[in-house]
This record gives sequence, C-alpha cells and structure tokens, in this order.
Amino acid sequence: MEQFKLGFRSIIPIISGIVPFGAVMGSAFAEAKLEFWQAMLMNVTVYAGAAQLATTDLMKLNAAILVVVTTGLIINLRFLLYSAAMSPYLKTASPFIKFICAFTLTDQSYAAMTANVDSFKSNEEATQFYLGTAVSMGLAWHASVIAGFVFGNFAPASLSLDFAIPLSFVALLIPTLKTSKHKAIALLSSILSLLFYSLPMKTGLIVTALISIGAAWALIQPKQGA
Amino acid sequence: MIDQGYFLTNVFLLVVGTILIRGCFIAVSHRVNISPKLRELFTYIPAAIFPALVMPAAFFHHGRVEALAGKERFLILLFMALICYFKRNTLFIIGLGLGLLYLANFLGQA
Repeated sequence: MEQFKLGFRSIIPIISGIVPFGAVMGSAFAEAKLEFWQAMLMNVTVYAGAAQLATTDLMKLNAAILVVVTTGLIINLRFLLYSAAMSPYLKTASPFIKFICAFTLTDQSYAAMTANVDSFKSNEEATQFYLGTAVSMGLAWHASVIAGFVFGNFAPASLSLDFAIPLSFVALLIPTLKTSKHKAIALLSSILSLLFYSLPMKTGLIVTALISIGAAWALIQPKQGA
Repeated sequence: MIDQGYFLTNVFLLVVGTILIRGCFIAVSHRVNISPKLRELFTYIPAAIFPALVMPAAFFHHGRVEALAGKERFLILLFMALICYFKRNTLFIIGLGLGLLYLANFLGQA
C-alpha cells in the first residue's frame, strides 16, 4: 500500500501539465458537438489524449474510418514499447491486474514508473506503484476533460500552462538517463523527432522511437574482439 | 454533428486496437522470459520516446519573444533539462519553467 501511495503522489506534481491538455480535449469534444456520454465513452475507453485529439478532429471532417482508426493507432503505437517494458514487472500478476495495468498505460504513468524504478524491491512493489500512478492520472485526466467539456478551455492562455506538459516529461526523463549511452539516445531522438516532424499521420514519433531503439540495441551489443 | 454509427464504429475499433497494443506484451509476460539484454534495452525506451514527444512541440512553436526568434519555449526547455541534473524535483522544474516562460513573454511584450 505504501508503494501505491507513492505512485499516486508521484503524479501530483505533473497534474499542472495534465489539466490543460485535458481541458483542450474536453473543449475539442464539445466543439465536435459530441454528446456528453459520447465524449466520456471515448475518453474512458480509448484513454489516450493525443490519439483522441487527432481522431476527433478527423471525425469532425468526416474522414474515412480507415484513416481515423489508422491515425489513432499509429499515434498509440508507442504504447507497444511501454507494454514490453512493463511486462517483466507484471509476470506474476493476476490477469485482472494485468488488464488494469494495460488499460491504464499512459505516457505519464509509464514515465513516473521509470523515474522511480530503482526504488522497487520486488515486482509487486513496482505493480503497486504503477497502479497508484494510474489512479492518480485517471482522476486528473477525466476530471479535466469533463471540466473542459462543460466550461470550455478554461486554462488562461497568458499562463501558457500547456508548456507544463513538455516540462513534466523533461523532469521525468532526466533521472532515467543514467549513462552516456542513454544521453546519446535521448539526443538522437531529439534530433530525429525534429527531422521527421513533418511525416504524415504523426508517424514521425514512432519512426523516431524505432530508429532510436535500434540505435540503442546497437549500442548495447558487446564490442567485437572485447 | 458526427453521425452516431460512424462515431461508435471508430471508437470501437480504436478501443480494440489500443488495448491490443497496450496489452500484447503484458498479457504474455508470464510465458515469456525476457533476457537481461532485452531488459537493458527497455531502459532506453524513455530516452527514445520522451524527447520525441516534447521536442517538436517546443521547437516548432512560434513564440512572441522576437529577441529569441520566437524560440523561447525551446530554449527554456533546454535550460530546464540542464537544471534537472542538479534539482530533481518535478514540481520545481515545472514551476520554474512556467515562470521563466511567463517572464520571457512579459519582457518580450514590454
């Protein structure tokens, strides 16, 4: 239970980044003239902000189902890597816990987990911590989306609160860059993401991630003759 | 107005696809032995993805501070990444970063 509480608390500092994004999502649902139940259905079941934002916009334009779904799933492909990274910790978990952990896998929960990974003594502690982050994240996200739907995008533009999102990822990323190889991969990913930014359907993100992971794989191979 | 059948079909396919993406490795975790090499590779996932999530948004954002060529978000983000090495407090990093951006915007408009 202690780890659950720690996980829950670990999300609190980054709520300032979650709320403006949730508010944008909620107001986008309202602007697309979705009913409240439709917005909540999508928000609770898909539970992936960036994909929801892109697909809601496409649905508003009446894009083909194939385009809408493919766009959403490509944006969500990064979860495949998170799922792989989470799997060792969930080896002994029950199917129900595995389902909950998979269903609630988000950038923020995964980031909070990886930033604290050295403090876990067992897989059970890691799972409890993760579930704490998931509950905290879920509450913050759904509350801010509802508020955005009802009140519109309430975050004052002058405060630039949307900038809290990249700041929170930087704060969660730096502790995971433990070696010069990790730093090199982060630098590579930064440069590639700028080069591939204009690729269609936001594929730049996943292309960058795959090339960076490939480079990491090459880096961790034992040197020949060593 | 989005047609209800069209909306529900899209949401249903997105839900199924997303849960498959999120759950595929987790579902079979008890059957698969992850080698130490692969575990090591997993430690690189944040480094491979998080910069790609945030860098384009900061770099391609057109800001209001002409003296910084409108790149105040990008510069502040880089500065805060440096600060992170000395002060690993998420709330502090977010607070200081937002404060610097507010200040930059304020001075840029003055």
